[in-house]
Amino acid sequence: MTATSPATTRSGPHLVLLTVYAIFVLAAGARSLVQVFTRFDEAPIAYSLSVVAAATYVAGWFAIRRAAAGSAGFAKIMLWVELAGVVTVGVLSLVVPSWFPDASVWSKFGSGYGFVPALLPILGLLWLWRGRTSGPTEGV
Amino acid sequence: MDAVTLIAFIVAGYAAFVTIAAALGVALRAPRPRWLDQLGWMLEILAVVLAIGALAAWSAGRKPESLSTFLGYLGALVCLMPLALQTMREDRSTWSSGVIAAAALATGVVAVRVMMVR
Repeated sequence: MTATSPATTRSGPHLVLLTVYAIFVLAAGARSLVQVFTRFDEAPIAYSLSVVAAATYVAGWFAIRRAAAGSAGFAKIMLWVELAGVVTVGVLSLVVPSWFPDASVWSKFGSGYGFVPALLPILGLLWLWRGRTSGPTEGV
Repeated sequence: MDAVTLIAFIVAGYAAFVTIAAALGVALRAPRPRWLDQLGWMLEILAVVLAIGALAAWSAGRKPESLSTFLGYLGALVCLMPLALQTMREDRSTWSSGVIAAAALATGVVAVRVMMVR
């Protein structure tokens, strides 16, 4: 779950972010696989978006690992992409509910997961922003 | 209330307790104490008891709505806490308590989900 990154970036808030991302890789990945392989015809748009969400969490996990090791460029892009995805799918699920006969991971801004999907990229961006203003992530 | 539901409530409640204890460790900026690991392993034992109980109820004829979802939740229930504890085995920093808090919270949520889908 955690990176084998340099000692200076070994510990910090990113450990919690990595854990939550790993949990969401598991949750969204398993959910999307079950949805796609057992009942894809019922809600193709929603289930496809679940696959996109799962892929985004995998990329986000790697992006935060890289950011913790000092390379934040990919993380900045991925976290903004993730936030845009949550907001777009959240709005679409409210405005065009016929596209979502069943919920996707990001439906209604991730309400099925306690809105953690909406909070996660924001917390990640805050962590990146704090890292930029206070220097490299330090051990505690 | 049947035995498995009762165990699930106990797991969820105990997971909430472990989450709060670990989150307090982060808030106080203290290194992760050994007793937090012990609380985590205790949660794992309870999760395994719940998984065995849910499997026993299934084998006795209780059919979950979706078998794949049910088994997925059981897998997550028993794997989350050991993965978190093993990953943080050598890291006693403040933020390693945050990892335990996240894993304990997820275990509690999964215990509730097991109760709902079984």
